[in-house]
Amino acid sequence: MIPTDYVLILAAVLFTIGAAGVLVRRNALIIFMCVEMMLNSVNLTLVALADLWGNLTGQVFAFVVMAVAAVEVAVGLAIIMAIVRHKDTSNIDEINLLKG
Amino acid sequence: MSMDLTAIPLLSLILWLPVVGALLLFFVRKESTIKLIALATMLLDFVVSLGLLLNWSNTGDMQFVEKLLWIPPLNISYHLGVDGISLFLVLLTTLLGPIVVLYSWHNIKNNLRAFMVLLLVQQTGIVGVFTSLDLILFFIFWEFTLIPMYFLIGRWGGQRRVYAAVKFFLYTMAGSALMLVVILLLYWQTGSFDWIELQQTPLDPTVQTWAFLAFALAFAIKVPLFPFHTWLPDAHVEAPTAGSVILAGVLLKMGIYGFLRFCLPLFPDATLRFAPWIAGLALAGILYGALVALVQKDVKSLVAYSSIAHLGFVMLGVVSLNQQGLAGAVLQSVNHGLSTGALFLMVGMIYDRRHTRLLTEFGGLWKQIPIYSALLLVVVMASVGLPGLNGFVGEFTILVGAFKANRLWAVLGTVGVIFAAWYLLAAVRGMLQGPLDNPANQKLQDLSAREIWVLVPLILLFFLIGLFPNLFLDKINPAVETLLHGMNAAAQISFLP
Amino acid sequence: MNLPHIDFSVITPELIVIATALVVMLAEFVGAHATPSPTRSHRIALIALLGLVLAALAAVAGLGRAATDIQGMLVADDLGRYLELVVLLAAALGLLLAWDYLPQFTKMHSEYYALYLLAVVGMMFMGKSTELITLFVSLEILSVALYVLTGFHRGQLAAGEAALKYFLLGAFSSAFFIYGAALLYGDTGSTHLVDIAARASGGFLTLAGLALLLVGFGFKLAVVPFHMWTPDVYQGAPTPVTAFMSVGTKAAAFVALFRVLQAAGVSYATWSLVLALLATLTMTWGNLAALRQSSLKRMLAYSSIAHAGYMLIGVTAGMQLGLSAVLFYLFAYAFMNIGAFAVVSLLERPGYHATQDATIDAARGLFARKPLLAVVMAIFLLSLAGVPPLAGFFGKLYLFNAAVQSGWIWLAIVGMINSVVSAYYYLRVTVLMFMTEADETSFLRSPLSNATGLAIAVAMVGTLLLGIFAGPWLQQLGQAALAFAGS
Repeated sequence: MIPTDYVLILAAVLFTIGAAGVLVRRNALIIFMCVEMMLNSVNLTLVALADLWGNLTGQVFAFVVMAVAAVEVAVGLAIIMAIVRHKDTSNIDEINLLKG
Repeated sequence: MSMDLTAIPLLSLILWLPVVGALLLFFVRKESTIKLIALATMLLDFVVSLGLLLNWSNTGDMQFVEKLLWIPPLNISYHLGVDGISLFLVLLTTLLGPIVVLYSWHNIKNNLRAFMVLLLVQQTGIVGVFTSLDLILFFIFWEFTLIPMYFLIGRWGGQRRVYAAVKFFLYTMAGSALMLVVILLLYWQTGSFDWIELQQTPLDPTVQTWAFLAFALAFAIKVPLFPFHTWLPDAHVEAPTAGSVILAGVLLKMGIYGFLRFCLPLFPDATLRFAPWIAGLALAGILYGALVALVQKDVKSLVAYSSIAHLGFVMLGVVSLNQQGLAGAVLQSVNHGLSTGALFLMVGMIYDRRHTRLLTEFGGLWKQIPIYSALLLVVVMASVGLPGLNGFVGEFTILVGAFKANRLWAVLGTVGVIFAAWYLLAAVRGMLQGPLDNPANQKLQDLSAREIWVLVPLILLFFLIGLFPNLFLDKINPAVETLLHGMNAAAQISFLP
Repeated sequence: MNLPHIDFSVITPELIVIATALVVMLAEFVGAHATPSPTRSHRIALIALLGLVLAALAAVAGLGRAATDIQGMLVADDLGRYLELVVLLAAALGLLLAWDYLPQFTKMHSEYYALYLLAVVGMMFMGKSTELITLFVSLEILSVALYVLTGFHRGQLAAGEAALKYFLLGAFSSAFFIYGAALLYGDTGSTHLVDIAARASGGFLTLAGLALLLVGFGFKLAVVPFHMWTPDVYQGAPTPVTAFMSVGTKAAAFVALFRVLQAAGVSYATWSLVLALLATLTMTWGNLAALRQSSLKRMLAYSSIAHAGYMLIGVTAGMQLGLSAVLFYLFAYAFMNIGAFAVVSLLERPGYHATQDATIDAARGLFARKPLLAVVMAIFLLSLAGVPPLAGFFGKLYLFNAAVQSGWIWLAIVGMINSVVSAYYYLRVTVLMFMTEADETSFLRSPLSNATGLAIAVAMVGTLLLGIFAGPWLQQLGQAALAFAGS
């Protein structure tokens, strides 16, 4: 069995990478993928902790997060599509009508 | 034929009547009806306020007290009361109300209804300040009075009205910001917002100091005490005449009243400690106001700076912390309201005719408009402090009190009195005497009956107060005595003469 | 098979609103071709409004009853019921704003109202959640619905951009939120707040978990430094949506924050200091930024940020005084802020590439054109500035009182100074309305919508009277807070 600590650390690293990605990348789709990565790293944490505590709450939570992530994908991609169709770009630097 | 008026909630009636009138005005379109309703409401309010005199007892206590628990969780009450200190301030407010409405009969060209509504609502606010005995209620009325004056200056004022209005609003609001926090602090320490209860609760000296400073800042801006006066000249000059009269006549008195009602009785130790500082600022204001007034070219501006000087004088009386000083301060506040109010009215009257306020434009007016000139002379004499008129009684009493407190103060204050005579008489001479050489002045119409009626009540009071001051001092002195006794009991040092 | 016992009476208002949302989704198909668009929209809006009213009645009926819960996940205590009332009030006023506004830019009426109602459901659930998973799901329901509502105006590029920013940043902060929840789970082995309260270690895991949760809350509340999305989203979203979410999300998030903090397991001294600092940052930044705005919606957005700061002062003050003050302020805020946005919606110029927005100049000379509207707007603005005797002043009075009573005197002073600073930009609008002449930049939508007028009237009455007549009301709120603090 992989020690829980390693899993938790891996999840933390993935979370950080995802967060950094959100802050650094310019393409809306890539940013969203990084957010998904963050959500999944949390799922990983939850599953590892569920194993640690021996109850199923963590796994249930992970399922819920997956379901919500799916909802967000649907909505998020729709929003991104709506903009890309108008502006022909998904680079967030070029989507800057609202300023200040 | 004496009715027992203490059974009726007279103060609430006086307080809310103008608002009722304002609400009525919402349903009226015709200009003449608007004016009549406004005037009738103001006159009615004045008559009702005279009822306070009918059932007055010459004790120093609060009279006509009304108390109603308003916001139970915070122990805030609707608590009103009036004593010898606030009585004449309330009467001054209700007297100036109809006068100002009558003055503005013909010279408000647009949005007359809004103008009258604002005047009425302003009156409620000011009466509320003078009669509130609950700190939160007082604060509410205190801040509220900013709104009508802000709109009055901003909409019907002169060229730089926006700047003057915004500066007036923000400056005053900033000053009172700390006051609210301190009020909440007092509540935390004592569990009460009630003035009567707070008077009987001794306060820790550190708390007293901070509380005094916060309250004093708010009131010093209102008076205005040098160097917090910079909002005043702009506000006065840019305001429409009705606004200037209310501003100078009553609004500024709220500052003095604040010191008398809150700083002195609630924070006596702190007051004693800071009294010399305030005296210094007051004297600075007297001299500064006088010197700047001397070089003003605009008559309204001159009167504005003279207000700073005169009210500095009143503050000198306040910080003398003795019977004469305080009684003189109360009386002189009323006097200043009457005489400066009258001055602004007369400036307005000449402005209505010539659309200029520059002193150089006038000269030799005595020959063309004698009634105006005569009345102007009387008003100026009252302001200067000619014996026989009201100004003299007030100034003399204050000087006696100042002399007892500190001779230097009295001497410097007297210098201020002399200066006042100088610049006011110089202005009058420039306007009234000399040759009538400006052709624009040669066709001027003298005062109409309406304009005379506007001034008559004020001038009558000049003489009444000047010749029979005891009619007024009899009511003021007991309250001042009570105040001093209370301070004496609460503080470590004797305040009695 | 043993099904867990579910006491549905706990969530009666929510069930009513969900049912209404379903009906609204189907109502689109009734008489689809026969009736013209505006009337169809009005019909659907009416159904939605009725649903909101019924839900409010259900919430009121539940007031004062003892708290009950569903499996420890959702609780029906007075705090939750008052939250429902605030959210329903904000929703109803926002709905009135959308009444005539909506048909002007879209034909998707039932989608709008259905999403709107579901956002309401999300908010109401959020205020009743006592368990982290439920809290998360409620948060996401309301968030996703709002993401879509923000971008609803397909013809406006700015709306799409606002939706994108809201979505990306919102999803980002949700990730922080669940990571924090996961850490708290890791600390205590349970996601129920009661268990966390009992078993939290108070060590690194608890602190980290709480901090991450706070990041999530901070985003929804538009607390500095998590406020970046607010001006853009408030400006780009349709004004009725902005009006609603400015109050609703804050209300839901504040109540949820109170619940989480009560269970925190971290000492009051620690988290109150953090919140005090956040409050100071938020108020100051919000007010200073608002001073420089030339767009009315952006100005109100920054003002919203500042008001969140004031309410944070209430949170800092603690569970009893602070909570009742925040609840009161939310009601007052609903009236004055939605009222202000209602007037702003009348000053907006419609257009394709325009950022669908009212510049401050649009208000020029409003008093000359429509005196009553200008006066009402002045009332809303002065109330937001905290001038007596309006509701905003009383709200701030209670907040600062709570702060002073819990020893946070410096915080109250900062709050008051901020109020004075904010008066400047509120006054600026009154200057334009009353003291300047109308010119080509002034604008007023015509014809004026009756529904918007009704919303403005209700908001005005609330702003004028809530403070003056609210003594007994405040007492009720205080009792609800007491009951919550004791539990």
